[in-house]
Amino acid sequence: MFTCGLLAGGVLTAGVLWLLSGLFTPLPAGVRQGLIVAVALLAVLRDAGTLSLRLPQNARQIPQDVLRRHLVRGAMQFGFELGTGVRTYVSASAPYAMAVAVLLSGGSYAPALAAGLGFGAGRALTPALRRLSGNGERWDDLLAGRLRGVTLVCSVLIAAAACGVR
Amino acid sequence: MGEPVRPADRPSGARAVRALLTDPVLPVAALGAAVIAAVLHAPVLTWAITGGLAGYSLSGSV
Repeated sequence: MFTCGLLAGGVLTAGVLWLLSGLFTPLPAGVRQGLIVAVALLAVLRDAGTLSLRLPQNARQIPQDVLRRHLVRGAMQFGFELGTGVRTYVSASAPYAMAVAVLLSGGSYAPALAAGLGFGAGRALTPALRRLSGNGERWDDLLAGRLRGVTLVCSVLIAAAACGVR
Repeated sequence: MGEPVRPADRPSGARAVRALLTDPVLPVAALGAAVIAAVLHAPVLTWAITGGLAGYSLSGSV
């Protein structure tokens, strides 16, 4: 249910961004593509620590009693809110780069839908891998040691994809 | 008489494989390879994979 919530939340946010993308269609495709690439590169610089830039976020955590009230509904709600990215700490720049990409992509809803589903699935990977590892505490330590690199590589790959996709 | 020195706590055999397959870096490597392939052949898939990278980059934050 948590994963379903993540996917639904990701799709909702991507859908809203896609609807708003219509406002930017008067911009030439080349300009929009250039902006997508520029923002993706800024995200890389920010995650590399080279650029200090405060980005907007609703830095609040979803209250734990969401899960206490009703476990299944709570898990769905928890996942949904995380998937929207609206009430959570956004500790990396890649989601912002993706949001701008969806906003400026133009065209059909399919890329936005794919991006939203992908975002939710990506968020679901963390608890899934942790559970599959069989040793959550050890996995947490591994992640803590590698998180900075993981965040940076994710940004770099997204920037590379932004340069390659038309 | 001193206590015997314990070997380093390193998983072996099936545990080592499990540790390797659930390493936090593995999704990034897999998604990275997939996104390169997708950019060349499947633009919509590229969006899904880059979305996945963006979501996974938020590991550790709630």
